[in-house]
Amino acid sequence: MSATAPASANDAPRGYWCLRPAGLTLLVHRRGAWAGLLLTAMILAIATGSLSSGTIPLAETVAALAGIGDPVTLFMLHELRVPRLVAGLLSGAALGVGGCLLQTLARNRLATPGIIGIDDGATAFAVASIVAIPTSLAPPMLALMGAATAAALAFGLGGGGSRGYRFIVVGIAIGALFGAITNFMLARTDIDAANLAYPWTVGSLNARSATTVATLAACLAVCLPIAKMLGRDLQLLRFSDAIAIGLGTRLRRTRIAILIVTVFVTATAVAVAGPVGLVSLAAPEIARHLTGHRGVPVINSALAGAMLMIAADWVGRTAFAPVEIPVGVITAVVGGPYLLWILLREPRPGGG
Amino acid sequence: MSKGGARSSLRRTTAICAVMVALLMLASMLFGAGSITPLDSWHALLGRGSEESIFIVHELRWPRTILAIVVGIALGAAGTIMQAATRNPLAEPGLLGVSAGSSFAVVLAIYYGADAVGVHFGIAILGALAGCFLVLLTTQMRGAGTDPVRLVLAGAAFSSILMAVTTLILLHDQRTADEIRFWVIGALGGRPSSYLQWAFPGLIAGLAMVGATAAALAALSLGEKVAMGLGHRPVFTRVLAMTGVAVLVGTATATAGPIAFAGLIVPYFARRLVGPDVRRALPVALLIGPLILLLADILSRLAVRPYELPIGVVTACIGAPVLIAVVRSHRLPRL
Repeated sequence: MSATAPASANDAPRGYWCLRPAGLTLLVHRRGAWAGLLLTAMILAIATGSLSSGTIPLAETVAALAGIGDPVTLFMLHELRVPRLVAGLLSGAALGVGGCLLQTLARNRLATPGIIGIDDGATAFAVASIVAIPTSLAPPMLALMGAATAAALAFGLGGGGSRGYRFIVVGIAIGALFGAITNFMLARTDIDAANLAYPWTVGSLNARSATTVATLAACLAVCLPIAKMLGRDLQLLRFSDAIAIGLGTRLRRTRIAILIVTVFVTATAVAVAGPVGLVSLAAPEIARHLTGHRGVPVINSALAGAMLMIAADWVGRTAFAPVEIPVGVITAVVGGPYLLWILLREPRPGGG
Repeated sequence: MSKGGARSSLRRTTAICAVMVALLMLASMLFGAGSITPLDSWHALLGRGSEESIFIVHELRWPRTILAIVVGIALGAAGTIMQAATRNPLAEPGLLGVSAGSSFAVVLAIYYGADAVGVHFGIAILGALAGCFLVLLTTQMRGAGTDPVRLVLAGAAFSSILMAVTTLILLHDQRTADEIRFWVIGALGGRPSSYLQWAFPGLIAGLAMVGATAAALAALSLGEKVAMGLGHRPVFTRVLAMTGVAVLVGTATATAGPIAFAGLIVPYFARRLVGPDVRRALPVALLIGPLILLLADILSRLAVRPYELPIGVVTACIGAPVLIAVVRSHRLPRL
């Protein structure tokens, strides 16, 4: 993305802007930037709608955000809705990035953390910490361990990610294994603890705690720049192994770096929101569509993921009020048919 | 291998499997999670011993053993026929979403208050039919039908949709949730004997259907044109085979809940033992199915005594490595 040759503002390649703040020269993909702005605008719109839904009118919401208004409204917004919105935005962004990276790694749009079993691994370990094994470790740490275990297994047994389909099917097997373990733990425990953990296993923004959200924010702050820096290698990964090596990628190192970043963002997101797997399938797809299938849209995937997550949460909260539908159910009901459609439509056999 | 040699090896394999099933049946009667020792169970089996041990062995373990055999036969045959009909070594009722369709139908039935056992069986078979229809539809798609992985992913997507709707129902209704929580994992214990009454007709009807298609499916493995040249009707064969699979899976699911991976493990071992011809693999699968299920059931009782593991967890633990082995083999075998 950076141009080293001295260039005037006019010789940016077609479709790019050339920016040079303070001695740096940056090329910005125009359509990508517009897509980012569009997604940001949509996020703002959905966030406003989500914050002011129900009994609070828009004007009061804005006032309350600035700290003016009656105590009930202030409490609702500052203690309930804003933290929930932040949790949704961050976890959606993390899932979007994770999906985008893993899809590129396996050269297959169906390879997302949810399908590979990373979500299941994180969930199994985190549920274990809630219902089965009392430990002093916080659920996010355990989710991270579970996600790392699942990813390492899928990566190792799946032939190092070089053959997409094998990676995916091995991932499905590992996901099934962890799913069985989660089910077993839920069945062993008493009904109260199971109910406590149940919405959590389908993905809900109810289960978040302030510290897990803070962990997620920190993780995103570290991982997003790394993912962006991996951008060039990511683009080369889309070619065959031989070409990517010929163009100077250290394949194995890049793959492992991508996998580690994916594990971190996915695990911390699962610790906040549970396995809302289909966000990581759809977000990169939307981002790629908006940016015109050029390169690997890491940032736009994050924005699209955040947008999907808060939109699904908003629908889940309001559609069947007063019963709240977990956000994972909404994404599965909407995203599942979409996944089927991708599968049945794609003309290339194997897709990877 | 000469034809006579192949036949005798088939016979020997069948005999060994039959002996192992008999031994496992005995083991299933003798070992359990409860406090009575295998020796007590042995006495109880012969009609002596304390009242408690006689009750446990005759009233709890015996029906459970029979159920394991029925479900094992149903899932083993269903998996074998499904792999032959879709020509896909990864085809399995659980992975392709047939079990999910079936169990979702039962969840719906329980939610709407239908608690007659016969209704559960009928509805489970209908749900499995819907799942099978989706599988057939997918295999007819251009490109998707010849790609084993895509079929599995379509099954996963279908299952995840149904899973989400199930969750939706469970969140609404606490009573259903408590009833279903154990059922959706798959278990053989604690089923009333009235289940057997319904399971047997389903099993026999399903087996008759898939048995009738075995020869045609073997011809289909040579390609559609060859099969038509040999006088078989490919479309009719596939539809009949998948209907039989639906009856078998529906019966198994209504009896024991969705038991993941059994339909994958059984044909894998059957093919290893007697080769890929479905006419030879099917009879062996009918023995390996109960063998695997009995083994998994005994393990599920002994692994975490005095508690029991749900059998679905055990089969998943056996099945996941098998699935990995299938995919890791040099190239994905085409059937």
